[in-house]
Amino acid sequence: MSAAFFGAPVPRNEDHRLLTGQALFVDDVQLEGMLHVAFLRSDYAHARITSLDVSAARESDGIVAVYTAADLGEYWQPGPLLVPPQPIERLEFHCATQVPLAKDKVRHVGEPIAAVVARSRYEAEDALPLIQVELDPLPAVADPVGALESDAPRIHEQFESNLAAHAIQEKGDYASIVEQAALVVRRRLLHDRGASAPMENRGVVASWDQKSGELTVWDTTQAPIPIRNGLASMLGLPEHQVRVIAPFIGGGFGPKIMMFYPEEVLLPWITMQLGQPVKWIEDRQESFFATTQERNQVHEAELAVDAEGRILGVRDSFVYDAGAYNPYGLTLPINTQCTLLGPYVVPNYYSEFRAAFTNKPIVSPVRGAGRQPGVFVMERLLDLAARELGIDVTEIRRRNFLPPDAFPHDHGIIYQDSASLVYDSGNYEPALDRATEMIDYARFLSETQPAARAEGRHVGIGIVSYVEGTGIGPYEGARVSVEPSGRVSLATGVGTQGQGHFTSFAQIVADQLGVEVTDVEVVTGDTGKFHWGTGTFASRGAVVAGNACHAAAVALREKILEQAAQELEAELADLELVAGTVRVKEAPGRSIAFGELAVLANPLRGAVRPGTEPGLEATAYFGPEKGSTASGVHAMIVEVDPETAMVDVQRYVVVHDCGRVINPTIVRGQIIGGVAHGIGNCFYEQLVFDENAQLQNASFMDYLIPTATDVPPVDTDHVVTPSPFNPLGIKGAGEAGAIPTNPLFAQAVENALQMPGLEILEMPISPNRLFELLEAARETG
Amino acid sequence: MEIQSEFLFSGPRDELWVNLMDPAVLAKALPGTKLERVDEDRYVGEMEATVGPVTAARFDVAIELVDKVVPESFTMRVDGKGAAGFTKGTAHVQLAEQGPDETLMKYTADLQVGGRIAGVGQRLLDSVAKSMSHQGLEAINRHLQGEAPPEAAAPVQLLSRPVVLAIGIVVLAVLLVLLL
Repeated sequence: MSAAFFGAPVPRNEDHRLLTGQALFVDDVQLEGMLHVAFLRSDYAHARITSLDVSAARESDGIVAVYTAADLGEYWQPGPLLVPPQPIERLEFHCATQVPLAKDKVRHVGEPIAAVVARSRYEAEDALPLIQVELDPLPAVADPVGALESDAPRIHEQFESNLAAHAIQEKGDYASIVEQAALVVRRRLLHDRGASAPMENRGVVASWDQKSGELTVWDTTQAPIPIRNGLASMLGLPEHQVRVIAPFIGGGFGPKIMMFYPEEVLLPWITMQLGQPVKWIEDRQESFFATTQERNQVHEAELAVDAEGRILGVRDSFVYDAGAYNPYGLTLPINTQCTLLGPYVVPNYYSEFRAAFTNKPIVSPVRGAGRQPGVFVMERLLDLAARELGIDVTEIRRRNFLPPDAFPHDHGIIYQDSASLVYDSGNYEPALDRATEMIDYARFLSETQPAARAEGRHVGIGIVSYVEGTGIGPYEGARVSVEPSGRVSLATGVGTQGQGHFTSFAQIVADQLGVEVTDVEVVTGDTGKFHWGTGTFASRGAVVAGNACHAAAVALREKILEQAAQELEAELADLELVAGTVRVKEAPGRSIAFGELAVLANPLRGAVRPGTEPGLEATAYFGPEKGSTASGVHAMIVEVDPETAMVDVQRYVVVHDCGRVINPTIVRGQIIGGVAHGIGNCFYEQLVFDENAQLQNASFMDYLIPTATDVPPVDTDHVVTPSPFNPLGIKGAGEAGAIPTNPLFAQAVENALQMPGLEILEMPISPNRLFELLEAARETG
Repeated sequence: MEIQSEFLFSGPRDELWVNLMDPAVLAKALPGTKLERVDEDRYVGEMEATVGPVTAARFDVAIELVDKVVPESFTMRVDGKGAAGFTKGTAHVQLAEQGPDETLMKYTADLQVGGRIAGVGQRLLDSVAKSMSHQGLEAINRHLQGEAPPEAAAPVQLLSRPVVLAIGIVVLAVLLVLLL
């Protein structure tokens, strides 16, 4: 294999389409006779539906139909549990999944109660107030810790309490070592909720063709194939009669892997009822209630270290806010549990969590997927231990890193993929060295900071590490074919939401087939083109689908060579693939073009040789036995105004290990996007609920996301430890940038202010909240 | 959400009471409200409010008066629902003499605000809402002092006087809630 493109900063194939407005998004789909759907959603976080009368709405201008739970009949079913509980001993798990339309009770603001179908969205929305719904409010549960108190209002009557899950994972024996510790740092650490805030909200267009018996659904999902399979099952259709297309999507960030959203269940059913296409596009306000959210956790954690700062053990007990329903099972708290361990030697670990139902929107992964709270806890406790022991923050990390010969490293606890948490590979110290060098750590502390302080300026530096389990199974597939035109087509099942799949997958294939990256036409996320696979999540697209593309391209290369050997009457070993042709190495004049071979491989008359297949096409699958462990070190320089508590992030350095890099430009883009997301998560983005679980900032006026001026220039570099668990040695990168930003920000701000009483133990931290902490620290200090 | 506030009127309590009983006075303080009495202490109607980007949102309002101690105090239960959300809660109003020419109105309210009006209107128009509530009470106060006699307002003429007062307080309370 010649690697002309793998690893090269190839420009993205898809950018021309995206930048010239030629890319199809769900809302671009316009069909003859298409109707529009609007949803009546609950204004109450917790209420009983005592009456529901849609007759006046049905009579309204332009209204075609109005549906309630009662109209759905047998089709009304709670959604599936997406991730079965992981095999943890003594696990307690209670599952309650979302329903298409609320029947007896609503459990969060924004839960849909009725669907109105009209000629236009205007008419549909205008009919919503005509629906007479009596909601008898019940006391609501906003706080996950309060939710678990014995007198808390119960959200799901079938359970004895609001406890959704309880799990303990242990390694070693924390209790036995805590006595020997030179220092035990105990803290309560909070992580609040945020939204994913994609540029494009969710949307569904569904079209039923009675004559062909085919249902086509355009959906902003990250998992088109499972959506297809689920819809076929729910609607009683053969899977091949359902086509789900996830076209270009303006940002996934996790919530679009959730399924099935009520709208995804209802629109396909509605089009089959009415025989007309239907469209629903989520508006920004709906998105704040109807799209899943993440990250509310409350940790009681302690870190035991010896006098040199070496970790003896960690004990952590946390409450996880599952929201009103928990279709995603335990993925998030288990990710928290596992990712907390970080790149460190932690001989003894006790981790316990309780998941609590609350009357807040459903929780499912948002970029990072439970990892941020874990990293926040570990990194903060290390900072505090370093402070107590008078050790530099980089030094305490260095002393605790797993050594390079420790891999593969089995932690002996269960990860989200139900297998043991194994780090496949890694080499952490060089990343830390490189990051300290890039941000000029020593000079900052010895010169820059004192000089600024002399001028009355408060600048600070932070540096943290993390790991991220990526690229988990089960599998993905790809089909590569050569068209009679000589162009190469590649189809894979994963959906794409801006990750550059049209380029990175094309690079992998182009290297095998000896064509240009621009000669490879990539199709993703269309079940009509490829219908095996699971989806884009867990930083797995490049790892799992990328290796499937590789395997398919290798197989196709063999087919091309065999066909060409026959046509050119040459030995396989004497042939090479160059610029879309196969030629004899020693006699380049003897060659045949791919297109010609494709035609010959699919003859109209004659016979295809027994034991061969027609066409130049190959399909392959890849399923890693275990995921690959990405890691990184982030560093940041901030300046804090102690009077206003405003923080200016001035520099940001990321040294990242995602194994072998397919396309450094794309990875850099992913990381910078993640850093922007991370900066939002630490200083700007917080969903604020009142005690009745009413969201107080459901618009971009009040829910702040970082703007371009809030995101500093990001310098990136790579350390490469190839994953031994996949042929290409790849690790995932999609979530990485967002994962360690919170503790980094906290550390840098504390470093800037140098106030003994100031500890940032909650995220996000707004300027207002930071100001309060500063005031408190001044009083105690 | 609990709120507590007070307003000092420049006039004796009896006179304030009489003025407060005048629907026209409150109509001026509370434009956009229509109410109908359904029995002795229960009223239904509608109210229009603009809270930030939620413009001219209509709410169906149901109000019930309980624990009336004329002319000193009463408690009201309010339930408002509309396309833009809901308000629900209880308000307790007291009038106390503060010397011969001053009366202190104290009110406490425990209110829930939900839906779009809570999510989007929460703090955008803090200052507008503050000034609206202040203007409403000031308007009543000015009338008490014999200034700027209010124009008659048709929508509230069906109302009994205590109810108009009650509505006034609730609307003001809701606006105040939105400030917090």
